[in-house]
Amino acid sequence: MSTKTVEYLVRRTPELGVDGRPVQLPLISGDLEPELHGEHMLINIGPQHPATHGVLRLVLELDGETVIKCTPHIGYLHSSFEKLGEYRTWNQVIPLTDRMDYLAPLIYNCAYAMAVEKLMGIEVTERCKIVRVICMELDRIFSHLLWIGTTAIDIGAFTVFLYTFQERERIYSLHEAFTGARITTSSTRIGGMMADLPPGWVEALRHFVDTLPRTLDETETLLTHNNLWVGRNRDIGIISGEDALDWGLTGPNLRASGVTYDVRKDKPYYDYDSYDFEVPIGEHGDCYDRYLVRMEEMRQSLRILDQAIRRLPGGPINVDDPRIILPGKTDLMADMESMIHHFKVVMEGVKAPAGESWYGVESSKGELGMYVVSDGGSKPVRWRVRGPSFINLSALPMMVEGHLLSDVIAINASIDIVLGEIDR
Amino acid sequence: MAKPELKDAIAGLESGPETTPNGVATARGEAAAESHPTVAALRAQFGDAVLHHTVYSGDEHVVYIVPERSQELLSWLRHDPGQCFDLLKDVTAVDYGAGRPLELVYELWSVPRRVGLRVKVTLPLESLEADSVEPIWKTANWLEREVYDMFGIHFRGHPDLRRIMMPENYAEGHPLRKDFPLRGRFSRAEQTRRALSAPPEDNYTPDELAVALQEERPAVAGGEVADERSHAAASADLDPAAASPRPNTAADWSLGSSGSAAAGTQGATQ
Amino acid sequence: MGLTERHELPVVSPDGGEASFLTTRLDDIVNWSRRSSMWPMPFGTACCAIEMMAMAATKYDVARFGMERMSYTPRQADLLICAGRVTYKMAPVLRRIWDQMPQPKWCISMGACASSGGVFDVYSMVQGIDTIVPVDVYVPGCPPRPEGLIYGILLIHEKVRGETLKNPALRAEDSARAGLPNLPAEVVAEITTPFGNSTNQNKVSGLLSTGAVSRPTDRHP
Repeated sequence: MSTKTVEYLVRRTPELGVDGRPVQLPLISGDLEPELHGEHMLINIGPQHPATHGVLRLVLELDGETVIKCTPHIGYLHSSFEKLGEYRTWNQVIPLTDRMDYLAPLIYNCAYAMAVEKLMGIEVTERCKIVRVICMELDRIFSHLLWIGTTAIDIGAFTVFLYTFQERERIYSLHEAFTGARITTSSTRIGGMMADLPPGWVEALRHFVDTLPRTLDETETLLTHNNLWVGRNRDIGIISGEDALDWGLTGPNLRASGVTYDVRKDKPYYDYDSYDFEVPIGEHGDCYDRYLVRMEEMRQSLRILDQAIRRLPGGPINVDDPRIILPGKTDLMADMESMIHHFKVVMEGVKAPAGESWYGVESSKGELGMYVVSDGGSKPVRWRVRGPSFINLSALPMMVEGHLLSDVIAINASIDIVLGEIDR
Repeated sequence: MAKPELKDAIAGLESGPETTPNGVATARGEAAAESHPTVAALRAQFGDAVLHHTVYSGDEHVVYIVPERSQELLSWLRHDPGQCFDLLKDVTAVDYGAGRPLELVYELWSVPRRVGLRVKVTLPLESLEADSVEPIWKTANWLEREVYDMFGIHFRGHPDLRRIMMPENYAEGHPLRKDFPLRGRFSRAEQTRRALSAPPEDNYTPDELAVALQEERPAVAGGEVADERSHAAASADLDPAAASPRPNTAADWSLGSSGSAAAGTQGATQ
Repeated sequence: MGLTERHELPVVSPDGGEASFLTTRLDDIVNWSRRSSMWPMPFGTACCAIEMMAMAATKYDVARFGMERMSYTPRQADLLICAGRVTYKMAPVLRRIWDQMPQPKWCISMGACASSGGVFDVYSMVQGIDTIVPVDVYVPGCPPRPEGLIYGILLIHEKVRGETLKNPALRAEDSARAGLPNLPAEVVAEITTPFGNSTNQNKVSGLLSTGAVSRPTDRHP
């Protein structure tokens, strides 16, 4: 944003003025080639493109560099999770949930298990609830770290990507120690988790929680008051609160526009109303506010993690119901009844009563809804995922109208989409 | 396999919601009218457009309404100051299979009142049509497109009803229907052939092509033309999985008799 | 164009006699330069792309192989890393990107979904990108760890070490096959039939009679 703008453009006339030099008159539009009119240009971005955050295709109609119309085309990653879920037993669906939002897999694992447990009327143990809260908040941080890294790269700041990915490697180690996998965790089961926390895990998590703020501070030093960052993000992609609600935005996108809606506060689950944390609310609804909201959300998630670690009780992690949860290996090898239960749970699957359940959790991208319909069998009749990114992206055409092409990239980055969730 | 008595017993099990002649699920009893104030108000306002009210999973209130007045009821739910369901969380559908009617499901939430409601509309298979709620909540734009793509439910009044997940010239049907096989209707070889031999113009809507080719925009709404395109693809001859021992050449993979509406135009902008 | 013209060296017999000292040296130099700074074209679609990004980050650091310069334009890329599941809607894009890459080019199929369709034996998923593009190395995993992908890259380097300029067909441009799938139709049909556990997973909830249509070639238990 240079301050040395040319104040006026002039044209010279043949007449000479009083000082013997040609008279200069201000140039007005229409003087030069009044018949010149522009054509609109059609530009296709994607589906293979570094800055679309996945296989998103944007077709833009441009007038010069200004966007007249933007049409997202999706479906390039449509893996029919919902159809596949109808052919899998309730527990077999859990590995599918990792692969939708692969940036925050534990949130999806937990949300699906919570929906099915509500349908079945199962109350998980206290320890399991707090472990799941830990998993969900950890993955919220996980997702936001990737978001800030890739958004910074899109705007041009490469260093932040390396810093945040180094922190994400620490979370990968925590994932791997607990679930066995870095990304595709599949750690929940109906009625509990696949295993309890390994020894030393809570201390490693405590160390992570204590040391992450330093990286967040470094990132904020690099970005928050940086002229370039502010210039690229402030007043870009503004969406008002009413429009955001109308378009179904949820999560940080909605809160940055000033609407106070967070599922953890408005329809709390797993005792979130007993944790002491704040939900950051923005004012202007521009990209900069979305950035500030997500940075602050990471810090609030650290607060929740701190409290959850303190109140983590001992006790079993799974419910004590052999019709649902696999028996322990020692019981299995010693006891005939356990072996029969194991056989039935694995071969027939857990059966859910006829009915349905729509469960909403606050995922890193917005409200994640899991809608499961059962007919009394061991496989879902319908499994619907209300993916927040799908709905957040639908507001993109409205947010980019009138902006420049480079702003399209910034706005697309700021709404934090993941194509696995959009295309399902 | 199973003994005859067992088979009869299994066949006698009703799965999915039990329905009355008008297709409304009544497997669960009617919930108490006062248990959800919105439902009581709906009944007071709209009388027998509200067919049934029940509760699933302990605390999830679901109300079944008639398809003919769905837009009116949903609009009232949004705009009435006592209701104010300003967030449409989800629009989806459920296919129970075996010729049963489809259920169109709306999940609503009121941000100021912190109250939710699920509204369901039962659509018989012969008339999979409903009024679009896009005029009420803009978020329904893409949600209804997805329901159309996956289930084949046509939304009257939708500004741009075309497929969203599958390619627009997808000819195998509507994937989430229960009579659609998991691996699709065509063989893999045929699916590969169709994927790679579609003309590049098929990737653009007629509106976009008009901009690219500097032509007049089509007079019909984009949705209708897109339907034509998918109908043209659907009526094309199916190429059976070729078992010829010829080497892999262009002749094996050309589109052949099936063509798209925009075939023949050059100057794609790719 | 390209490599076929560079065979006109004075001391080499062009009809492929035994390897002489100079051709071996030339092969060594050319192969060394190709594998030491191979610019990847990251065709990242899903979860594997995140592991590919982790490979590019500091802990696994693919820059030590000269590969941190990810080339998002295929015109300047050497190695197509297809990371993630590919749908039939995306398949023509993949084929076009492959065709746009000039020789020498190699392809890594990263992950189970790119190699065989993975968990997704469904109507919309390509059952292995080798039906679309020729693949040099398959990296199994869901997702493979970054070390796994690096091992796959090192295998490509080994493959490059074994190449020779005396075989003009090896790195010849094949523009006649542009836009066509990599394998003929009957091979595609053969290698994409359901196998393993997916044959047992054809049935929806047992209580439901759906009239689901199964294909005659699907094997049932």
